[in-house]
Amino acid sequence: MNSKSSPSGPCPHRAKFTRRFLRALARINKDRPTSSSHHEIRKRSRKIKIAADASMAYAVGSGRAWSRVMLWKLRNRTRYRAWIWSRVIASTRKRIDKGSKQGGELSRTDQLRQLVPGGEAMDFCNLLDEAAHYIKCLTTQVQVMRNIADFYFT
Amino acid sequence: MERITSPGSRSGSCRDDKQFDGEIEGLMTEDDLQEAAVVPVTESTFTALLGLPANQAIELLHETESVKSPEIPTADIWKDSQEDQRTFSYPFNCSLTFPTNAALVERAARFSVFASAQDSPERCSIPSISSENSPKLKAEPANSESNRSSSPILSSSPTIPKQNQKSAKRKEREKVKGSVKKSKYVENGNKDGEKLPYVHVRARRGQATDSHSLAERARREKINARMKLLQELVPGCSKISGTALVLDEIINHVQSLQRQVELLSMRLAAVNPRIEFSFDSLLAAESGCLSTGSFPSTLTIEPMMWSELQFNGERRQQHQNQHQQLWEVDLLQPPVWERENYNNYHPSENSVFSYNSSAESVSMHSNQLKMEL
Repeated sequence: MNSKSSPSGPCPHRAKFTRRFLRALARINKDRPTSSSHHEIRKRSRKIKIAADASMAYAVGSGRAWSRVMLWKLRNRTRYRAWIWSRVIASTRKRIDKGSKQGGELSRTDQLRQLVPGGEAMDFCNLLDEAAHYIKCLTTQVQVMRNIADFYFT
Repeated sequence: MERITSPGSRSGSCRDDKQFDGEIEGLMTEDDLQEAAVVPVTESTFTALLGLPANQAIELLHETESVKSPEIPTADIWKDSQEDQRTFSYPFNCSLTFPTNAALVERAARFSVFASAQDSPERCSIPSISSENSPKLKAEPANSESNRSSSPILSSSPTIPKQNQKSAKRKEREKVKGSVKKSKYVENGNKDGEKLPYVHVRARRGQATDSHSLAERARREKINARMKLLQELVPGCSKISGTALVLDEIINHVQSLQRQVELLSMRLAAVNPRIEFSFDSLLAAESGCLSTGSFPSTLTIEPMMWSELQFNGERRQQHQNQHQQLWEVDLLQPPVWERENYNNYHPSENSVFSYNSSAESVSMHSNQLKMEL
């Protein structure tokens, strides 16, 4: 199995991401309680996912719109949790209303906007650009995480 | 169809425009003046144009729709230079009555575009010939690109109202924007209403050429280029044709990637805590992946080496370690034992980081070890 399966080659942020992620993993596992209940596992998996996204965003830096948005979200997450939660509720409500008005299904463009961080505020052309870079980085992230997971299960 | 008016009407209108005569007096001989039948190109007297040779009429049309044109002298010179006189019929195959200014201008525009076409039909060559022959008259050459020079010419005559310049500008715009060089004439759906800046574009054959559609076309091309890149990124997307389906695939791919991240994070969270996160070995594994690309081989080696060292406390793999450079092993070994106590973890990290290059070579050796095993 070739880990470099993507035609565009390895992401240039791979090494940085790996280092950051491993450090974050170590930090998370440092304070791991011995009990591995489902609840604990779920909490930890959420933390790990956030750590993975954060390290990827840090590795990419501010050069990309989606990484900027992600970093901003992560930074504000700790401080303005309540505010973010209210925004999420408002946006979902808006989306529901919009959906019901239009008859349900979001258009493909809107779906893509929801998936790519920061996609709501971009024009279609830039959205495609950011989506391409985001897919590349996500692929790298998945590869590295899979390698690490395999590493610990053999 | 009334094509030729009586000469009487021509002369009648000629007398009406003494000032116009005065303008062109310096430019032509007396004979020519009379011959030219200086006729103001007004709406009412448009039919008088029919009395002129056709080429002259074209120029008149070009100039104004309502005012006498100073180009009449040039028309005369055309006539001189030309051997055969054009028949009256050729440009006036269509309706000869021009009830409105707009229609007249449109016609003028059409003729101007005809004139500027390189492979224009014969009738359009007339203005070109005339332009060559009458440079000093500062006549507006019908097919030259320097149409802008005509506006000063037009403005020179005081009697010419603004409409003159307006029509000239409109014509220039038509010529500049028209896809004239290569394509056949495509009537530009009367873009006369908008005052757009000059756009020096070469539109493709049969395509609209106003700046809006050009900008849209550029935008569409950008979007198509990016869709192609996305198609290459997403596996299995290159066969699909059509933007909507490709977008669907892209969305599915992004969703699946995000789901995979979640699953993997679950998996990592559920990893048995007994196996310590040996940072240096992971780093070695990852950098091995980076350098060699044959990642699985390093993976299979590393855990065997390190986990056994950790759990058994014996160097079962010592004979394998000996295959490596000993100094690497010695440096990497102590951190393994220290890792039990996380307080010392970070110092050990630093020491490991400095040996990153060694870690890479470790993985390279482990590749060979795999074959041995």
